[in-house]
Amino acid sequence: MSSAYERIIELRGVSFSYSEAAFIEDLSMGAGEAAFIGLLGANGSGKSTMLKLLAGILRPQKGEANLWGKPVGSYKNKDRAKLLSYLPQVLDMNVPFRVKELARMGLYPYDTKPPLAVDDALGMVGLLDKKDSLLTNLSGGERRRAFIAMTLLQGAGILLLDEPLANLDIRYQMEIIRLLKELNRLKGITIIMALHDINLAMQFEELILVKEGRLLRIGPPDEVLTEDLLKEAFGIEIKIERHEDYRFISYGL
Amino acid sequence: MKVRVLLLVSIALLIFFVSLFLGPVPINPFSLSGTEREIVLFIRLPRVIVAALMGTALGAAGAVLQGMLRNPLADPYILGLSSGATLTASAGIISGMTFMGAFTIPVLAFAGAMATGALVGLMGWRRGGLLPERLLLAGIGLGFLFSAVVMLLMSVSTNEGLRRAVMWMFGDLGMADWGLIPSGAVFIALGLVIAMLRAKALNSLILGDDLSHSLGFSPRKETVLLFTATGLLTASSVSLGGMVGFVGLIMPHIMRFFVGPDSRVLIPASAIGGGMLLVVADLIGRTVFQPTELPSGIITALLGAPYFLYLLRRRDVLGI
Repeated sequence: MSSAYERIIELRGVSFSYSEAAFIEDLSMGAGEAAFIGLLGANGSGKSTMLKLLAGILRPQKGEANLWGKPVGSYKNKDRAKLLSYLPQVLDMNVPFRVKELARMGLYPYDTKPPLAVDDALGMVGLLDKKDSLLTNLSGGERRRAFIAMTLLQGAGILLLDEPLANLDIRYQMEIIRLLKELNRLKGITIIMALHDINLAMQFEELILVKEGRLLRIGPPDEVLTEDLLKEAFGIEIKIERHEDYRFISYGL
Repeated sequence: MKVRVLLLVSIALLIFFVSLFLGPVPINPFSLSGTEREIVLFIRLPRVIVAALMGTALGAAGAVLQGMLRNPLADPYILGLSSGATLTASAGIISGMTFMGAFTIPVLAFAGAMATGALVGLMGWRRGGLLPERLLLAGIGLGFLFSAVVMLLMSVSTNEGLRRAVMWMFGDLGMADWGLIPSGAVFIALGLVIAMLRAKALNSLILGDDLSHSLGFSPRKETVLLFTATGLLTASSVSLGGMVGFVGLIMPHIMRFFVGPDSRVLIPASAIGGGMLLVVADLIGRTVFQPTELPSGIITALLGAPYFLYLLRRRDVLGI
């Protein structure tokens, strides 16, 4: 990763394993202010684990996970929550709350009056007209956006998302990406988002390609999305063809 | 919302007073004779207070457990906590333990509830998470086991007074008297205060441990605190009047319709609702089937068990 800017969130020399066998070894990665990064890899490549290490949910067994230059574990829970929010891959579809009730939970770390009004946050994600709806009655994409509204109220400058596009129709996938890009551009929110879809990976400024808990390449899509690297990451033949501004990916069998 | 809570409190107070003056012999509150005064003060009032306190504890415990375990079927009785508390409490009664005075039985019941909760948690734990089905089955299984042991203790104990004391463990409020109330009330107050102070954390736990962490809570610490609160609540209820099932299951469901899912309102509402339910169940138990008196545990089971089966049928909708 370029050293032209300071990393506000990073893993430095991190090793981690769930069992005896090392899963992640001596991994270093991170993001600077207002970065928009896609963490790309096949299923089981360690994307979720890396995000959880960054979020402080998992503790590295070796090395450090830093947030604004300090170990993420050294922050008080509430202080960390004001700087960093994380959305897991599986959002329980059966939580009993209404949209506005969920969004309001983003204010839990704050004791004083919120910096952002609930209605404004819901407006930003386009759910203002559904604020009284039950989450169970929303589509998958709307539910994602309700959770994003919650993180907006949380006010954190860093947002880690684990596969927020999984199981969504392409239209909703594009909607979520557009929303995240807008938040990144307008509010300067640093976004790191795990994904496994190569086509969608082209939407990012910067990609981190991972395989089996290690880095394959960090860089802009042009450098990372090459046939050789993708073959290594995903284990299948991939052809990329360019046509004007579009790239077409075809998969060999 | 405020109107609804106020309405709830008014109904609860009304039920409380009505049940004081209804019974095998209805009493006119406006012209009390000396004997009637005695009956109200020393028989009915403690009994109604005990029922209200027990229901309060169970309703609140159910609301906490259902949120904490993200499981609409959770309840202190179904998870075996009540049986565990009953076992240690009856063992204490039978062996004549008094090491902490009036608090002996509640403390023993608390230890039983906590130990059972830990055991059920261990049995329901698989690959880094609690599996709802395993948890429920472990609770139901341990509940059976502990109830059987209590019955065994009861049948081998020869002293008639002790047998009566253990009978009371099965939810017969006929033995309620003023002496039980202070220690039970202290436990309930402690449990409620902890639960209410951690209500935001409970809301976040409903979203899942990772989101709870992201929102600035420590899911492990919060789970321990909230579980301690349910242990206190269950223990107080058991030591006041034994095992009464399903109040903690039904009340949070009813109250979610009435005041919504926010734990800050749901816990007190379920507590009030639980108190009402048990006072009414006890009233039915001592009036409808005269001269026989039915333990209120039977009434709540007759109401609650079918509802449990109904929930089980549509659990895909509720999503456990």
